[in-house]
Amino acid sequence: MMRNHFSSICPGCLIAVFRPVTLAAVMVSLAVPAVAVINTGTDAEAELPYWEVVEHGVSLRLVQRLPDQTRGFFQARGFSIADSELIAQSCVFQTVFKNVAPPSDPGVIEYNLDEWVVHAAGAQFRMKTREVWQKEWTARNAPKDAQLAFEWGLIPTRQTYRPGDYNWGLSMFNLAFGAPFDLDVVWRHGGVRHGARLKGVVCAPDSHVSPTVQ
Amino acid sequence: MKTPIRSLLRCTMLASWFVLCAAQAAGYETAQTLSSLPKPFAATDFTLQGEDGKTYRLSDYRGKVVVLNFWATWCPPCRYEMPSMERAHKKVRGEKIVLLAINVGESEDKVFEFTGQYPVTFPLLLDTEGAIIKKYPVIGLPTTFVIDPRGIVTHRAIGSREWDDEQLLAPLRKLLEP
Repeated sequence: MMRNHFSSICPGCLIAVFRPVTLAAVMVSLAVPAVAVINTGTDAEAELPYWEVVEHGVSLRLVQRLPDQTRGFFQARGFSIADSELIAQSCVFQTVFKNVAPPSDPGVIEYNLDEWVVHAAGAQFRMKTREVWQKEWTARNAPKDAQLAFEWGLIPTRQTYRPGDYNWGLSMFNLAFGAPFDLDVVWRHGGVRHGARLKGVVCAPDSHVSPTVQ
Repeated sequence: MKTPIRSLLRCTMLASWFVLCAAQAAGYETAQTLSSLPKPFAATDFTLQGEDGKTYRLSDYRGKVVVLNFWATWCPPCRYEMPSMERAHKKVRGEKIVLLAINVGESEDKVFEFTGQYPVTFPLLLDTEGAIIKKYPVIGLPTTFVIDPRGIVTHRAIGSREWDDEQLLAPLRKLLEP
């Protein structure tokens, strides 16, 4: 049964990073309201699908990122082909997290990715964060400048935003190309906890565009 | 009967609308906010080489307001705000306000290449090992700190801003008031 749960997860990802969700995280997922309005469509700049929630002072958008974009980006930052492939196979999204509360609102927005829960193929997981990747890069002896770009390229694991603040960054879900999943996101606005479920998010397929025949 | 001018105008308006929509959809629009820190702290001094080959030491700017930006060439919001930082740099010329942008983890060549597309005249410093950024409370790029004339970090902005906006320049000038 467990094997079925992991059937859509990328090979080589069944390691500690996909540790079972703790009781606390399950409680978080149960607390997520089901009424959040999720916007979907095609991101105008990336020309790829996006999933977005705009509620309680937060705007969060996940935009699909093609595996080839990820391969190219990280090879250009100094990663080996094998390491770039590992990242590209991790279901990567461009993520924009913003505090959209009006400047008159003194409440800060805080989040912690360790509280977010991924639901895929009947299983629940956490996201693969900077800290988890860091151990992997150390073990794989990745170049220091590549590690530095990777660290700063990922969406922060924990962040605090005042009105007008925002980050762009990559988020990684360790699922196979084209795999569907739901994501429970949690944040605090002025200390009050809020949540939303992004349903039916889909990892980008590993599509290769053939050259046009002239 | 459409005139060429009307068609051109319509196309221009459509193009402008598309660009605006695209920018909003992609999250380019930014609120011009500069948050004052609840707990101001002393700026850690550093000495870094600039992309121009000169050496820069933060404490040399004591008595001035320093806008200290951490960025990378591959970071889209960092690129968005570079032109406005250049405009701000020109706008505050003659005032005791300076901009310093610290590139994180990239080579001199990479930054030089970047200036071909984004020409700037304020100092671009090279934190090639990522050592200086670790001395500041930065969690994501870009992050910008404002340092007052006494060397105290008083404000922070996470994400890009339009730095030549008067809403942002006003608090900088206020820091210069006796």
